[in-house]
Amino acid sequence: MRVLVIHSHPIVDSFSGALRDAASEGAQAAGHDVRVLDLGAMNFDPVMSADELRGYKAIMSATSDDLTMHIDAVKWADVLVFVYPTWWSTLPAQLKGWLERVMRPGVAFEFDENNKVRPGLRQVRKIVGITTYGSKWPYVKLMKDSGRRTLLRALKLNTSWRTRSKWLAFYGIDGASEARRAQFLGQVRKSMETL
Amino acid sequence: MNVLVLFAHPLADSYGRAIHDQVMSSLHVDGHEVRSHNLWQENFDPVLSAVEKREHFAAPETKTANDSLLAAHVADLRWCEAIVFVYPSWWSAPPAIMKGWFDRVLMQGVAWTFPEGATRLHAGLTHVRRLVAVTTYGSSRWVNALEGEPGKATIRRGLRVLCNVRCRSTWIADYGVDRASRESCSHFLAKLPRRLHRALR
Repeated sequence: MRVLVIHSHPIVDSFSGALRDAASEGAQAAGHDVRVLDLGAMNFDPVMSADELRGYKAIMSATSDDLTMHIDAVKWADVLVFVYPTWWSTLPAQLKGWLERVMRPGVAFEFDENNKVRPGLRQVRKIVGITTYGSKWPYVKLMKDSGRRTLLRALKLNTSWRTRSKWLAFYGIDGASEARRAQFLGQVRKSMETL
Repeated sequence: MNVLVLFAHPLADSYGRAIHDQVMSSLHVDGHEVRSHNLWQENFDPVLSAVEKREHFAAPETKTANDSLLAAHVADLRWCEAIVFVYPSWWSAPPAIMKGWFDRVLMQGVAWTFPEGATRLHAGLTHVRRLVAVTTYGSSRWVNALEGEPGKATIRRGLRVLCNVRCRSTWIADYGVDRASRESCSHFLAKLPRRLHRALR
């Protein structure tokens, strides 16, 4: 399968970076084609400009060159893998902005004649979320786990009814031991080997 | 009341902008002290930098020293008793530029502290007694219910626990804007002052 890994973290050699590598190496080991979009490393600008929003519904017309590569990667992929640290119970701004700018009409969805949103990601077979939480599980659930809802509900509504999803979460990373971190890296690698 | 208005919309001729102007005028009519930030206009950078991430537990002054805009945001956050968010919901949540306000401005020593031996964050915004969100959704109310309203949870839960224990939060939302008529939009605008007045009482 064609696996697209989207990663957002400001520090290159962070634990999140190690998760990105474990995910892509795991998928490669299983013989999948892997592409990685490291938003932090490529300095992706998450802010939609006024012109871009004006041309939002005119499909693809207002996309700048830097977006074309991202859009092509999304259209190429069967599996979308999101790797990020959870901040304020949801995606970092940079990854949220990636959704806004790349997952636009003509890519992730289309407006039908009644201006209703119709799914555009039917080719995607699986959405995988790999994230770390500072808090423990009960607190994350009390805060309603917004990031998971954004990816596995809001984004997933734009895929096919057959699209599967998987959530790999590391709760309570603040103060977690090296052993637990290593164990989670192993878990991520293994799940990506058995997509 | 000291009210901080955070506004996010890139277009000056948008419905979002009309809502913002209505919010500002009704706050003035009610006699509140208002400070406001138009995140797009002031070119707020929403991306947490590597330095800010590394200095996560540093004193706020070390992060704001070379960034006067960030310093102004921190000062206004410390000053306010109510925060009013005005934004269009994209992917059921605030636009990235506003999510970046959370990532960068809600910093250690301002919005929260993590004392030695604590098991979770301690609230730092105990002076904030009201949270209000005025937002628009392209899709209908039931689609957003299905999606689980992630943006709503971030403000009413995630941010709310950092505020005063008696802080009240109010959700003022216009759903289904993609297919809304001009009348329903002006109806929403007309009702806004009264709803804001009640929220900030």
